[in-house]
Amino acid sequence: MILEALAEFLTLSELGGVIVNGLAKSALYVMIASGLTLIFGLMGVLNFAHGSLTMVGAYLGGLLMVVTVTGGTAPLTRLGLFFVAIVVVFALLTVLGGAIETTIIRPLYDRPPIYQILLTFGLTLVIEEVVRIVLGIYDLQPLSDWQAALATKPQFLREPVALGPVSAGWMSLFQILLGTITVVGIWAFLTKTRYGLYIRAGSEDTEMASALGIDVRQVFTVVFALGIGLAGAAGTLLMWDPTWGASVPLAAETLLPAFIVVIVGGLGTFRGTVVAALVVGMADAVTTWWFQNAIQFTGLPELVLFLVLVVTLIVRPQGLFGVEEVGGH
Amino acid sequence: MSLLELGGVHTYYGDSHILEGVDLAVEEGEVVALAGRNGVGKTTTLRTILQLTPPREGSITFRDESLVGLETHEVAARGLGWIPEDRRIFGQLTVEENLRAAIPNPDDVSDGLRLAFDSFPILEERRGQEGGTLSGGQQQMLAIARGLVGDNDLLLVDEPSEGLAPQIVADVAEALATASEDVTMLLVEQNLPLALDLADRFYILDKGRVVDGGDTAAVTADDERFRRYLSA
Repeated sequence: MILEALAEFLTLSELGGVIVNGLAKSALYVMIASGLTLIFGLMGVLNFAHGSLTMVGAYLGGLLMVVTVTGGTAPLTRLGLFFVAIVVVFALLTVLGGAIETTIIRPLYDRPPIYQILLTFGLTLVIEEVVRIVLGIYDLQPLSDWQAALATKPQFLREPVALGPVSAGWMSLFQILLGTITVVGIWAFLTKTRYGLYIRAGSEDTEMASALGIDVRQVFTVVFALGIGLAGAAGTLLMWDPTWGASVPLAAETLLPAFIVVIVGGLGTFRGTVVAALVVGMADAVTTWWFQNAIQFTGLPELVLFLVLVVTLIVRPQGLFGVEEVGGH
Repeated sequence: MSLLELGGVHTYYGDSHILEGVDLAVEEGEVVALAGRNGVGKTTTLRTILQLTPPREGSITFRDESLVGLETHEVAARGLGWIPEDRRIFGQLTVEENLRAAIPNPDDVSDGLRLAFDSFPILEERRGQEGGTLSGGQQQMLAIARGLVGDNDLLLVDEPSEGLAPQIVADVAEALATASEDVTMLLVEQNLPLALDLADRFYILDKGRVVDGGDTAAVTADDERFRRYLSA
Protein backbone atom coordinates (compact mmCIF):
# COMPACT_ATOMS: atom_id res chain seq x y z
CA MET A 1 0.00 0.00 0.00
CA ILE A 2 2.85 2.39 0.86
CA LEU A 3 4.57 1.58 -2.44
CA GLU A 4 1.35 2.25 -4.35
CA ALA A 5 0.97 5.57 -2.55
CA LEU A 6 4.61 6.41 -3.28
CA ALA A 7 4.07 5.69 -6.97
CA GLU A 8 1.00 7.93 -6.96
CA PHE A 9 2.85 10.65 -5.02
CA LEU A 10 5.63 10.68 -7.59
CA THR A 11 3.30 11.23 -10.55
CA LEU A 12 3.70 14.66 -12.12
CA SER A 13 0.18 15.74 -11.29
CA GLU A 14 0.37 14.81 -7.60
CA LEU A 15 3.96 15.95 -7.04
CA GLY A 16 3.30 19.20 -8.90
CA GLY A 17 0.21 19.80 -6.79
CA VAL A 18 2.17 19.17 -3.60
CA ILE A 19 4.92 21.58 -4.70
CA VAL A 20 2.42 24.36 -5.50
CA ASN A 21 0.65 23.71 -2.20
CA GLY A 22 4.01 23.74 -0.38
CA LEU A 23 5.05 27.00 -2.01
CA ALA A 24 1.72 28.58 -1.04
CA LYS A 25 2.17 27.47 2.57
CA SER A 26 5.77 28.73 2.47
CA ALA A 27 4.54 32.09 1.18
CA LEU A 28 2.12 32.40 4.08
CA TYR A 29 4.77 31.35 6.59
CA VAL A 30 7.32 33.81 5.24
CA MET A 31 4.77 36.62 5.39
CA ILE A 32 3.81 35.76 8.95
CA ALA A 33 7.41 35.35 10.14
CA SER A 34 9.23 38.18 8.33
CA GLY A 35 8.20 40.91 10.74
CA LEU A 36 9.07 38.75 13.72
CA THR A 37 12.55 37.98 12.40
CA LEU A 38 13.27 41.62 11.48
CA ILE A 39 12.32 42.77 14.97
CA PHE A 40 14.34 40.08 16.72
CA GLY A 41 17.30 40.41 14.37
CA LEU A 42 17.89 44.06 15.11
CA MET A 43 16.36 44.61 18.50
CA GLY A 44 16.62 41.25 20.22
CA VAL A 45 12.95 41.61 21.13
CA LEU A 46 10.86 38.45 21.00
CA ASN A 47 7.51 39.99 20.13
CA PHE A 48 4.80 37.73 21.51
CA ALA A 49 2.18 40.23 20.32
CA HIS A 50 3.07 39.47 16.69
CA GLY A 51 0.23 36.97 16.23
CA SER A 52 -2.30 39.33 17.77
CA LEU A 53 -1.27 42.11 15.43
CA THR A 54 -1.58 39.69 12.50
CA MET A 55 -5.11 39.01 13.72
CA VAL A 56 -5.80 42.76 13.93
CA GLY A 57 -4.55 43.05 10.34
CA ALA A 58 -6.95 40.29 9.28
CA TYR A 59 -9.91 42.11 10.84
CA LEU A 60 -8.89 45.52 9.51
CA GLY A 61 -8.34 44.10 6.03
CA GLY A 62 -11.67 42.30 6.28
CA LEU A 63 -13.38 45.50 7.41
CA LEU A 64 -12.02 47.45 4.46
CA MET A 65 -13.15 44.76 2.06
CA VAL A 66 -16.60 44.35 3.61
CA VAL A 67 -17.14 48.12 3.51
CA THR A 68 -16.00 48.58 -0.09
CA VAL A 69 -17.13 45.38 -1.82
CA THR A 70 -20.75 44.78 -2.75
CA GLY A 71 -22.36 41.77 -4.39
CA GLY A 72 -21.98 43.38 -7.79
CA THR A 73 -18.31 44.29 -7.52
CA ALA A 74 -16.35 42.79 -10.42
CA PRO A 75 -13.62 40.19 -9.60
CA LEU A 76 -10.74 42.37 -10.79
CA THR A 77 -12.09 45.34 -8.85
CA ARG A 78 -12.22 43.14 -5.74
CA LEU A 79 -8.62 42.17 -6.38
CA GLY A 80 -7.65 45.81 -6.77
CA LEU A 81 -9.48 46.73 -3.56
CA PHE A 82 -7.68 43.89 -1.81
CA PHE A 83 -4.29 45.35 -2.78
CA VAL A 84 -5.48 48.76 -1.56
CA ALA A 85 -6.57 47.10 1.69
CA ILE A 86 -3.14 45.49 2.12
CA VAL A 87 -1.43 48.85 1.64
CA VAL A 88 -3.80 50.64 4.03
CA VAL A 89 -3.50 47.94 6.70
CA PHE A 90 0.28 47.90 6.29
CA ALA A 91 0.33 51.69 6.78
CA LEU A 92 -2.02 51.65 9.79
CA LEU A 93 -0.18 48.81 11.53
CA THR A 94 3.18 50.45 10.77
CA VAL A 95 2.00 53.59 12.57
CA LEU A 96 0.65 51.47 15.44
CA GLY A 97 3.95 49.57 15.62
CA GLY A 98 5.92 52.80 15.77
CA ALA A 99 3.69 54.04 18.59
CA ILE A 100 4.07 50.77 20.53
CA GLU A 101 7.86 50.83 20.19
CA THR A 102 8.32 54.42 21.28
CA THR A 103 5.87 54.34 24.18
CA ILE A 104 6.15 50.93 25.83
CA ILE A 105 9.00 48.88 24.29
CA ARG A 106 11.73 51.55 24.34
CA PRO A 107 11.77 52.06 28.12
CA LEU A 108 12.60 48.37 28.55
CA TYR A 109 15.67 48.09 26.31
CA ASP A 110 18.08 48.22 29.21
CA ARG A 111 16.15 45.59 31.17
CA PRO A 112 16.60 41.81 30.88
CA PRO A 113 14.73 40.15 27.94
CA ILE A 114 12.12 38.67 30.27
CA TYR A 115 10.64 42.16 30.68
CA GLN A 116 10.05 42.49 26.92
CA ILE A 117 8.62 38.98 26.74
CA LEU A 118 6.20 39.68 29.59
CA LEU A 119 5.28 43.05 28.13
CA THR A 120 4.54 41.74 24.64
CA PHE A 121 2.67 38.77 26.12
CA GLY A 122 0.58 41.20 28.15
CA LEU A 123 0.02 43.26 25.04
CA THR A 124 -1.37 40.15 23.35
CA LEU A 125 -3.95 39.75 26.10
CA VAL A 126 -4.93 43.41 25.88
CA ILE A 127 -5.23 43.37 22.06
CA GLU A 128 -7.29 40.18 22.02
CA GLU A 129 -9.63 41.49 24.70
CA VAL A 130 -10.11 44.80 22.89
CA VAL A 131 -10.88 42.92 19.65
CA ARG A 132 -13.40 40.71 21.48
CA ILE A 133 -15.12 43.81 22.89
CA VAL A 134 -15.29 45.46 19.46
CA LEU A 135 -16.59 42.26 17.85
CA GLY A 136 -19.18 42.01 20.61
CA ILE A 137 -20.41 45.52 19.83
CA TYR A 138 -20.98 44.50 16.20
CA ASP A 139 -22.38 41.11 17.19
CA LEU A 140 -19.63 39.13 15.46
CA GLN A 141 -18.57 35.70 16.71
CA PRO A 142 -14.89 35.98 17.80
CA LEU A 143 -14.06 32.28 17.65
CA SER A 144 -15.19 31.50 14.12
CA ASP A 145 -13.94 32.92 10.83
CA TRP A 146 -15.52 36.17 9.68
CA GLN A 147 -17.57 34.86 6.77
CA ALA A 148 -18.54 38.29 5.43
CA ALA A 149 -14.85 39.07 4.89
CA LEU A 150 -14.23 35.67 3.29
CA ALA A 151 -17.18 36.33 0.96
CA THR A 152 -15.45 39.37 -0.55
CA LYS A 153 -12.96 37.06 -2.25
CA PRO A 154 -13.53 36.93 -6.04
CA GLN A 155 -15.03 33.72 -7.30
CA PHE A 156 -12.05 32.84 -9.51
CA LEU A 157 -9.79 32.63 -6.43
CA ARG A 158 -11.96 29.77 -5.20
CA GLU A 159 -11.49 27.77 -8.38
CA PRO A 160 -8.75 25.44 -9.57
CA VAL A 161 -6.48 26.17 -12.48
CA ALA A 162 -4.73 23.62 -14.69
CA LEU A 163 -0.97 24.08 -15.06
CA GLY A 164 -0.34 21.34 -17.58
CA PRO A 165 -1.04 18.09 -15.75
CA VAL A 166 -0.98 19.86 -12.37
CA SER A 167 -4.17 21.12 -10.81
CA ALA A 168 -3.66 24.02 -8.42
CA GLY A 169 -5.86 26.62 -6.78
CA TRP A 170 -5.82 30.22 -7.99
CA MET A 171 -5.64 31.17 -4.32
CA SER A 172 -2.39 29.21 -3.94
CA LEU A 173 -0.87 31.02 -6.91
CA PHE A 174 -2.07 34.34 -5.49
CA GLN A 175 -0.43 33.55 -2.14
CA ILE A 176 2.81 32.55 -3.88
CA LEU A 177 2.75 35.84 -5.79
CA LEU A 178 2.26 37.91 -2.62
CA GLY A 179 4.87 35.89 -0.73
CA THR A 180 7.35 36.46 -3.55
CA ILE A 181 6.59 40.19 -3.62
CA THR A 182 7.13 40.32 0.15
CA VAL A 183 10.45 38.47 0.04
CA VAL A 184 11.80 40.48 -2.89
CA GLY A 185 10.60 43.74 -1.32
CA ILE A 186 12.23 43.06 2.05
CA TRP A 187 15.40 41.76 0.42
CA ALA A 188 15.66 44.87 -1.78
CA PHE A 189 15.00 47.13 1.21
CA LEU A 190 17.67 45.43 3.31
CA THR A 191 20.35 45.18 0.65
CA LYS A 192 19.73 48.08 -1.73
CA THR A 193 18.81 50.97 0.53
CA ARG A 194 20.87 53.03 2.96
CA TYR A 195 18.38 52.35 5.73
CA GLY A 196 18.63 48.62 5.06
CA LEU A 197 22.40 48.91 5.44
CA TYR A 198 21.91 50.64 8.80
CA ILE A 199 19.52 47.89 9.89
CA ARG A 200 21.99 45.14 9.00
CA ALA A 201 24.86 47.00 10.65
CA GLY A 202 22.78 47.66 13.76
CA SER A 203 21.66 44.04 13.97
CA GLU A 204 25.29 42.95 14.18
CA ASP A 205 26.64 45.56 16.58
CA THR A 206 24.42 48.38 17.83
CA GLU A 207 27.26 50.05 19.76
CA MET A 208 29.57 50.23 16.74
CA ALA A 209 26.71 51.38 14.52
CA SER A 210 25.98 54.22 16.97
CA ALA A 211 29.64 55.18 17.02
CA LEU A 212 29.48 55.52 13.23
CA GLY A 213 26.71 58.10 13.62
CA ILE A 214 23.74 55.82 13.01
CA ASP A 215 20.72 56.68 15.15
CA VAL A 216 20.07 53.12 16.22
CA ARG A 217 17.02 54.02 18.32
CA GLN A 218 15.35 55.56 15.28
CA VAL A 219 16.28 52.46 13.30
CA PHE A 220 14.72 50.35 16.08
CA THR A 221 11.47 52.30 15.76
CA VAL A 222 11.39 51.95 11.97
CA VAL A 223 12.13 48.23 12.10
CA PHE A 224 9.55 47.54 14.80
CA ALA A 225 6.97 49.58 12.88
CA LEU A 226 7.72 47.79 9.59
CA GLY A 227 7.66 44.41 11.34
CA ILE A 228 4.19 45.13 12.70
CA GLY A 229 3.11 46.48 9.31
CA LEU A 230 4.20 43.20 7.72
CA ALA A 231 2.24 41.26 10.36
CA GLY A 232 -0.85 43.28 9.43
CA ALA A 233 -0.34 42.71 5.70
CA ALA A 234 0.02 38.96 6.34
CA GLY A 235 -3.20 39.07 8.34
CA THR A 236 -5.05 40.68 5.44
CA LEU A 237 -3.94 37.84 3.17
CA LEU A 238 -4.96 35.22 5.74
CA MET A 239 -8.40 36.82 5.98
CA TRP A 240 -9.14 35.43 2.49
CA ASP A 241 -7.77 31.95 3.24
CA PRO A 242 -10.53 29.58 4.39
CA THR A 243 -8.08 27.50 6.47
CA TRP A 244 -7.14 30.60 8.48
CA GLY A 245 -9.74 33.40 8.20
CA ALA A 246 -10.24 36.43 10.45
CA SER A 247 -10.92 35.23 13.99
CA VAL A 248 -9.46 35.86 17.43
CA PRO A 249 -7.73 32.42 17.60
CA LEU A 250 -5.82 33.42 14.45
CA ALA A 251 -3.41 35.20 16.84
CA ALA A 252 -2.22 31.96 18.42
CA GLU A 253 -2.56 29.97 15.19
CA THR A 254 -0.07 32.28 13.42
CA LEU A 255 2.29 32.96 16.32
CA LEU A 256 3.31 29.32 16.70
CA PRO A 257 4.34 28.66 13.07
CA ALA A 258 5.96 32.10 12.94
CA PHE A 259 8.18 31.23 15.88
CA ILE A 260 8.96 27.80 14.42
CA VAL A 261 10.01 29.32 11.09
CA VAL A 262 12.12 32.00 12.78
CA ILE A 263 13.85 29.50 15.10
CA VAL A 264 14.48 26.94 12.34
CA GLY A 265 15.92 29.65 10.07
CA GLY A 266 18.12 31.04 12.82
CA LEU A 267 16.88 33.80 15.11
CA GLY A 268 17.06 37.13 13.37
CA THR A 269 18.25 36.16 9.90
CA PHE A 270 15.93 37.05 7.05
CA ARG A 271 17.66 34.65 4.65
CA GLY A 272 17.19 31.88 7.22
CA THR A 273 13.53 32.76 7.61
CA VAL A 274 12.92 32.47 3.86
CA VAL A 275 14.70 29.11 3.63
CA ALA A 276 12.99 27.84 6.80
CA ALA A 277 9.59 28.91 5.46
CA LEU A 278 10.31 26.85 2.33
CA VAL A 279 11.45 23.85 4.38
CA VAL A 280 8.49 24.00 6.77
CA GLY A 281 5.96 24.77 4.03
CA MET A 282 7.16 21.90 1.85
CA ALA A 283 7.33 19.49 4.78
CA ASP A 284 3.79 20.53 5.72
CA ALA A 285 2.51 20.02 2.16
CA VAL A 286 4.25 16.65 1.71
CA THR A 287 3.01 15.24 5.01
CA THR A 288 -0.46 16.66 4.41
CA TRP A 289 -0.60 14.70 1.15
CA TRP A 290 0.65 11.52 2.80
CA PHE A 291 -1.68 11.72 5.75
CA GLN A 292 -4.66 12.47 3.53
CA ASN A 293 -3.96 9.90 0.82
CA ALA A 294 -1.99 7.06 2.35
CA ILE A 295 -2.36 7.27 6.12
CA GLN A 296 -5.77 8.41 7.25
CA PHE A 297 -4.82 10.63 10.18
CA THR A 298 -5.24 14.30 9.49
CA GLY A 299 -3.82 15.55 12.78
CA LEU A 300 -0.25 14.57 11.97
CA PRO A 301 0.65 17.22 9.34
CA GLU A 302 0.67 19.87 12.06
CA LEU A 303 2.98 17.70 14.10
CA VAL A 304 5.58 17.87 11.34
CA LEU A 305 6.15 21.55 12.09
CA PHE A 306 7.25 20.64 15.58
CA LEU A 307 9.32 17.71 14.30
CA VAL A 308 11.21 20.07 11.98
CA LEU A 309 11.78 22.36 14.97
CA VAL A 310 12.98 19.58 17.27
CA VAL A 311 15.32 18.08 14.66
CA THR A 312 16.78 21.53 13.90
CA LEU A 313 17.35 22.30 17.57
CA ILE A 314 19.13 18.97 18.05
CA VAL A 315 21.27 19.07 14.90
CA ARG A 316 21.88 22.81 14.63
CA PRO A 317 20.68 24.70 17.70
CA GLN A 318 21.43 28.14 16.23
CA GLY A 319 19.15 27.38 13.25
CA LEU A 320 19.96 26.98 9.55
CA PHE A 321 21.55 30.41 9.11
CA GLY A 322 21.83 31.54 12.70
CA VAL A 323 24.85 33.12 14.29
CA GLU A 324 25.90 32.62 17.88
CA GLU A 325 24.89 36.10 19.01
CA VAL A 326 22.37 38.45 17.50
CA GLY A 327 20.62 41.62 18.40
CA GLY A 328 22.75 42.63 21.34
CA HIS A 329 22.38 46.14 22.60
CA MET B 1 40.72 76.35 23.44
CA SER B 2 41.54 72.65 22.93
CA LEU B 3 39.74 70.48 20.40
CA LEU B 4 38.87 67.97 23.13
CA GLU B 5 38.99 68.54 26.86
CA LEU B 6 38.20 66.21 29.74
CA GLY B 7 37.92 67.70 33.20
CA GLY B 8 37.51 65.64 36.39
CA VAL B 9 35.80 62.76 34.61
CA HIS B 10 34.50 59.95 36.82
CA THR B 11 33.11 56.83 35.18
CA TYR B 12 31.70 53.67 36.76
CA TYR B 13 30.77 50.19 35.60
CA GLY B 14 28.00 49.45 38.07
CA ASP B 15 29.65 50.03 41.46
CA SER B 16 33.21 49.78 40.08
CA HIS B 17 34.85 53.19 39.97
CA ILE B 18 36.99 53.09 36.80
CA LEU B 19 37.90 56.69 35.97
CA GLU B 20 38.64 58.69 39.11
CA GLY B 21 38.89 62.23 37.82
CA VAL B 22 40.58 62.13 34.41
CA ASP B 23 41.86 65.44 33.04
CA LEU B 24 43.33 65.68 29.57
CA ALA B 25 43.30 67.82 26.47
CA VAL B 26 43.89 67.21 22.78
CA GLU B 27 44.82 70.10 20.50
CA GLU B 28 43.77 70.31 16.87
CA GLY B 29 46.21 68.56 14.51
CA GLU B 30 48.16 66.58 17.09
CA VAL B 31 48.39 62.91 17.97
CA VAL B 32 48.13 62.25 21.70
CA ALA B 33 49.02 58.84 23.12
CA LEU B 34 47.28 57.49 26.19
CA ALA B 35 49.53 54.92 27.86
CA GLY B 36 49.08 52.71 30.90
CA ARG B 37 48.88 49.13 32.12
CA ASN B 38 45.93 46.88 31.33
CA GLY B 39 42.85 47.79 33.30
CA VAL B 40 43.75 51.36 34.26
CA GLY B 41 40.89 52.85 32.23
CA LYS B 42 42.32 53.68 28.79
CA THR B 43 39.51 52.05 26.79
CA THR B 44 36.96 53.36 29.29
CA THR B 45 38.26 56.87 28.66
CA LEU B 46 37.51 56.50 24.93
CA ARG B 47 34.10 54.92 25.66
CA THR B 48 33.32 57.77 28.04
CA ILE B 49 34.17 60.41 25.45
CA LEU B 50 31.82 58.66 22.99
CA GLN B 51 29.11 58.45 25.69
CA LEU B 52 29.02 54.68 25.27
CA THR B 53 29.75 54.58 29.00
CA PRO B 54 28.62 58.04 30.12
CA PRO B 55 30.45 59.72 33.02
CA ARG B 56 28.77 60.31 36.36
CA GLU B 57 30.82 63.43 37.01
CA GLY B 58 33.07 65.78 35.09
CA SER B 59 33.06 67.64 31.82
CA ILE B 60 33.88 66.56 28.28
CA THR B 61 33.94 69.26 25.63
CA PHE B 62 34.62 69.02 21.91
CA ARG B 63 35.12 72.33 20.11
CA ASP B 64 33.91 73.93 23.33
CA GLU B 65 30.59 72.06 23.21
CA SER B 66 29.70 69.63 25.99
CA LEU B 67 29.36 66.00 24.90
CA VAL B 68 27.96 64.82 28.25
CA GLY B 69 24.38 63.70 27.93
CA LEU B 70 24.44 63.35 24.16
CA GLU B 71 23.63 60.06 22.44
CA THR B 72 26.61 58.26 20.91
CA HIS B 73 25.38 58.87 17.35
CA GLU B 74 25.12 62.58 18.16
CA VAL B 75 28.72 62.56 19.40
CA ALA B 76 29.79 60.81 16.20
CA ALA B 77 27.89 63.36 14.13
CA ARG B 78 30.04 66.10 15.67
CA GLY B 79 33.11 64.56 14.05
CA LEU B 80 34.44 61.97 16.49
CA GLY B 81 35.39 58.62 14.99
CA TRP B 82 36.22 55.39 16.82
CA ILE B 83 38.62 52.64 15.81
CA PRO B 84 37.90 50.16 18.58
CA GLU B 85 40.21 47.70 20.27
CA ASP B 86 38.69 44.57 18.76
CA ARG B 87 38.02 46.18 15.36
CA ARG B 88 34.25 45.58 15.57
CA ILE B 89 33.92 44.94 11.83
CA PHE B 90 30.39 44.12 10.70
CA GLY B 91 31.19 40.52 9.83
CA GLN B 92 28.17 39.87 7.61
CA LEU B 93 28.53 43.11 5.65
CA THR B 94 30.92 43.32 2.74
CA VAL B 95 34.03 45.49 2.90
CA GLU B 96 32.28 48.11 0.79
CA GLU B 97 29.15 48.01 2.94
CA ASN B 98 31.27 48.43 6.09
CA LEU B 99 32.73 51.56 4.55
CA ARG B 100 29.38 52.86 3.25
CA ALA B 101 27.89 52.52 6.75
CA ALA B 102 30.60 54.88 8.00
CA ILE B 103 30.03 57.62 5.42
CA PRO B 104 27.37 59.97 6.80
CA ASN B 105 26.50 61.82 3.59
CA PRO B 106 25.32 59.68 0.64
CA ASP B 107 26.81 62.23 -1.76
CA ASP B 108 30.27 61.51 -0.31
CA VAL B 109 30.22 57.75 -0.87
CA SER B 110 32.35 57.76 -4.04
CA ASP B 111 35.00 60.03 -2.54
CA GLY B 112 34.98 58.08 0.72
CA LEU B 113 35.45 54.74 -1.01
CA ARG B 114 38.23 56.21 -3.15
CA LEU B 115 40.01 57.49 -0.04
CA ALA B 116 39.72 54.09 1.67
CA PHE B 117 40.89 52.14 -1.37
CA ASP B 118 43.78 54.50 -2.04
CA SER B 119 44.88 54.14 1.59
CA PHE B 120 44.49 50.36 1.63
CA PRO B 121 44.50 48.90 -1.91
CA ILE B 122 43.87 45.39 -0.55
CA LEU B 123 40.40 46.56 0.53
CA GLU B 124 39.50 47.38 -3.07
CA GLU B 125 40.47 43.85 -4.07
CA ARG B 126 38.23 42.52 -1.29
CA ARG B 127 35.41 45.05 -1.60
CA GLY B 128 32.76 42.38 -2.17
CA GLN B 129 34.04 40.04 0.54
CA GLU B 130 32.26 39.76 3.91
CA GLY B 131 34.16 41.57 6.66
CA GLY B 132 34.12 38.52 8.93
CA THR B 133 36.15 36.51 6.41
CA LEU B 134 39.07 38.97 6.26
CA SER B 135 42.37 38.27 8.03
CA GLY B 136 43.11 40.09 11.28
CA GLY B 137 45.37 42.58 9.52
CA GLN B 138 42.84 43.26 6.79
CA GLN B 139 40.13 43.75 9.40
CA GLN B 140 42.34 46.29 11.16
CA MET B 141 42.89 48.11 7.87
CA LEU B 142 39.14 48.13 7.32
CA ALA B 143 38.56 49.47 10.84
CA ILE B 144 41.04 52.28 10.21
CA ALA B 145 39.59 52.99 6.78
CA ARG B 146 36.14 53.18 8.34
CA GLY B 147 37.47 55.84 10.70
CA LEU B 148 39.07 57.76 7.83
CA VAL B 149 36.03 57.89 5.55
CA GLY B 150 33.74 59.17 8.29
CA ASP B 151 34.71 62.80 7.77
CA ASN B 152 35.97 62.92 11.35
CA ASP B 153 37.94 65.70 13.04
CA LEU B 154 39.13 63.49 15.88
CA LEU B 155 39.83 59.77 15.78
CA LEU B 156 39.79 57.75 18.99
CA VAL B 157 42.11 54.84 18.18
CA ASP B 158 42.22 51.90 20.58
CA GLU B 159 45.10 49.38 20.45
CA PRO B 160 45.50 49.32 16.66
CA SER B 161 48.48 46.93 16.77
CA GLU B 162 47.00 44.40 19.15
CA GLY B 163 47.26 40.81 17.92
CA LEU B 164 48.87 41.69 14.59
CA ALA B 165 52.01 40.25 13.01
CA PRO B 166 55.02 42.64 13.00
CA GLN B 167 54.84 43.32 9.26
CA ILE B 168 51.15 44.15 9.53
CA VAL B 169 51.87 46.40 12.51
CA ALA B 170 54.30 48.34 10.31
CA ASP B 171 51.61 48.75 7.63
CA VAL B 172 49.07 49.88 10.21
CA ALA B 173 51.55 52.35 11.72
CA GLU B 174 52.25 53.79 8.29
CA ALA B 175 48.54 54.12 7.60
CA LEU B 176 47.96 55.90 10.91
CA ALA B 177 50.94 58.19 10.31
CA THR B 178 49.51 59.13 6.91
CA ALA B 179 46.05 59.63 8.40
CA SER B 180 47.43 61.82 11.18
CA GLU B 181 48.37 64.41 8.57
CA ASP B 182 44.66 65.12 8.09
CA VAL B 183 43.01 64.20 11.36
CA THR B 184 43.65 64.65 15.08
CA MET B 185 44.07 61.43 17.10
CA LEU B 186 43.80 60.22 20.65
CA LEU B 187 45.68 56.95 20.55
CA VAL B 188 45.58 54.15 23.11
CA GLU B 189 48.49 51.80 22.40
CA GLN B 190 50.39 49.26 24.50
CA ASN B 191 53.19 49.13 21.94
CA LEU B 192 55.11 52.05 23.43
CA PRO B 193 57.71 52.54 20.66
CA LEU B 194 54.86 52.66 18.14
CA ALA B 195 52.85 55.08 20.27
CA LEU B 196 55.80 57.39 20.84
CA ASP B 197 56.69 57.27 17.17
CA LEU B 198 53.20 58.36 16.13
CA ALA B 199 52.34 60.77 18.94
CA ASP B 200 53.28 64.39 19.61
CA ARG B 201 52.33 64.22 23.27
CA PHE B 202 51.46 61.50 25.77
CA TYR B 203 49.52 60.96 28.96
CA ILE B 204 50.07 58.11 31.38
CA LEU B 205 46.97 56.75 33.06
CA ASP B 206 47.18 54.84 36.33
CA LYS B 207 44.34 53.68 38.57
CA GLY B 208 41.81 55.80 36.70
CA ARG B 209 43.83 59.06 36.85
CA VAL B 210 46.28 60.85 34.59
CA VAL B 211 49.55 60.65 36.55
CA ASP B 212 52.07 61.95 34.03
CA GLY B 213 52.40 63.38 30.55
CA GLY B 214 54.47 65.50 28.23
CA ASP B 215 56.01 65.78 24.78
CA THR B 216 57.09 62.53 23.17
CA ALA B 217 60.14 64.24 21.68
CA ALA B 218 61.63 64.44 25.16
CA VAL B 219 61.28 60.75 26.10
CA THR B 220 62.14 57.25 24.93
CA ALA B 221 60.27 54.01 25.51
CA ASP B 222 62.65 52.94 28.29
CA ASP B 223 62.25 56.22 30.16
CA GLU B 224 61.96 55.86 33.94
CA ARG B 225 58.49 57.48 33.84
CA PHE B 226 57.16 54.72 31.63
CA ARG B 227 58.93 51.96 33.57
CA ARG B 228 57.34 53.18 36.77
CA TYR B 229 53.78 53.06 35.47
CA LEU B 230 53.82 50.58 32.60
CA SER B 231 55.98 47.66 33.75
CA ALA B 232 54.09 44.76 35.33
